Amino acid sequence: MSGVKTYKHNTPGLIGVGILMFLVITAIFAPYIAPYDPYTRYERTEHPGSEHLLGTNHVGQDILSELIYGARVSLFITLCASIAAACIGTLLGLVAGYFTRLDFFLMRIVDLFLTIPRLPLIMIIAALMRPSVWNLVVVFALFEWSITARLIRAEVLSLKRRPYVNAARMFGARDSHILWWHILPNVVPLVVVQLILVSRYILLAESGLSFLGLGDPRAKSWGMMLYDAFEYPTIYVTDLWKWWMLPPGLCIILTILSLTFIGYALEEQVNPRLRGSWRV
Amino acid sequence: MHDDENTMERGIEPKKPLFFLLYTMRVKSIITKGVGYILIIFIILSLTFFVPRMMPAGPLSGLTSSENPVWEHYTAYLSGLMHGNLGWSTSKNAPVWDVLMRSMKWTLLLVGTSTVIYVLLGIFAGAVSAWKKGKKTDVGLLVLLISMASFPPFFLGMLFVIFLAWKLPIFPRFGAQTLFIAYSTPFDVVLDIVHHLVLPAATLTLTSIGVLYLITRNSMLNVVGEDYIQCARAKGLSEWYIMRRHALKNAMLPVITLVALTVGLVITGTIFVEKVFAYPGVGMLVSEAIEAHDYPLLQGAFLTIALAILAVNFVADVIYEHLDPRVKEE
Repeated sequence: MSGVKTYKHNTPGLIGVGILMFLVITAIFAPYIAPYDPYTRYERTEHPGSEHLLGTNHVGQDILSELIYGARVSLFITLCASIAAACIGTLLGLVAGYFTRLDFFLMRIVDLFLTIPRLPLIMIIAALMRPSVWNLVVVFALFEWSITARLIRAEVLSLKRRPYVNAARMFGARDSHILWWHILPNVVPLVVVQLILVSRYILLAESGLSFLGLGDPRAKSWGMMLYDAFEYPTIYVTDLWKWWMLPPGLCIILTILSLTFIGYALEEQVNPRLRGSWRV
Repeated sequence: MHDDENTMERGIEPKKPLFFLLYTMRVKSIITKGVGYILIIFIILSLTFFVPRMMPAGPLSGLTSSENPVWEHYTAYLSGLMHGNLGWSTSKNAPVWDVLMRSMKWTLLLVGTSTVIYVLLGIFAGAVSAWKKGKKTDVGLLVLLISMASFPPFFLGMLFVIFLAWKLPIFPRFGAQTLFIAYSTPFDVVLDIVHHLVLPAATLTLTSIGVLYLITRNSMLNVVGEDYIQCARAKGLSEWYIMRRHALKNAMLPVITLVALTVGLVITGTIFVEKVFAYPGVGMLVSEAIEAHDYPLLQGAFLTIALAILAVNFVADVIYEHLDPRVKEE
């Protein structure tokens, strides 16, 4: 269904994995890679040179180190929030799909979460809470599970009517056993794809929130760096934007592109029925 | 109601004017949906009321006590909202309602323009892409628009400001109008406003277009393989005509619902774009309120945005049911 020939060979998928691995390794080994501590102050707004490869920012912090540590914050929030959202979504999807009595009730909750303008709501809650990495993780997890739940439910509805599930039930397996051993393994691939597609959204939303000044100043993400750069009065007039604004922006774009590539490549491998139904 | 369904089943659906369309819509389903949406609005209102008060060391803790219970606050808050009383903006030193009303027209202009361009361009690009499946046009559009979708809107906006307003000073750098200028003709006013609108609208359109493009493309791909398209070709109709009248018409159904859902993206995007371009709309108010810790204004701006998104979704919900007779109430 999807028309581009290269996608069948998954070259973009491989490129995506490569880029993401690179970023994740950078994030994990940040203290060893970064030339300076990102919060130590040196001379202000220094231009790139042998001492500071990407110069320093408005308070004199080394931008390259900020960027490397920023990978940590951005990827950590994205990863934790999307895994938590995937878990909530999977759990509710499994329950709703399997137990017909709870289905109606749970699906109305899912509808509610799908209709609510999520990003503005996350924004206002984040603005009212003290900015911290964990708060952001919790808020994103609480609001981004609904699409996953709906997809998993649909899959469970079809899986639970399969003969092998009936057979297991005939052997006297309990519901929990069937759900855990016979249904869950079959929805895992779907969950993984969904997790990756949702994580793109969370990364974009996180950088957006940080750009509005809702990020944690003690743990600067890429979005927070862009916020600092944007708030600097002469960012456009001088050449500062070249090494202060471009790198974090490009990092965000690269991450999202790599996640997109991986997501679509996996989707084609994992679930041919979903092929081409590139989701929001 | 019975007759209505009958006519639909027999496929007699003449072109009706819009007011007639609205008239014949199933009133009951509109009411059910409306109740659902009112419930959602109520939940949102309650969330924005209780979340700041539940925060242990939040801005509003200590506001309630035993002689000043939270329920009294809550009812006062709700009845205030009913009367259009959104509180007092501490940073603007004016009623929140007035501040919002002043900014509203700019956001409406920006969102309206962007949405129109976005819908037309997104559907057109998607249709062309599917029609030229696998060819250079398709691959080019796909690569371009998917990469655009991975740009944070504010980052694209900043790039535009740098390259098209500073390096090449074609467009103004900020705002919605040139400040302190005496216009000679009304035409100049319009020109100035449009001139200021180009970059923000382009940013919003480009960053949100990917979704609609992909939906249209997928929907069109399902249609282009159909026999009736072959048949139309065999009749010797022009490709352009077939694409418009035979393929696109049938591919539009799933697109329409999703258009409304993605208009939400455009509306949310204005918050970031207006900040970058210092465009004096409701989105700009959000970032100003956050900077100034002006919670009443933040809440007012948030409610405006949320209600706008919900309203668009509601209209789409209702219209869709009428466009596709297969979708009936369960």
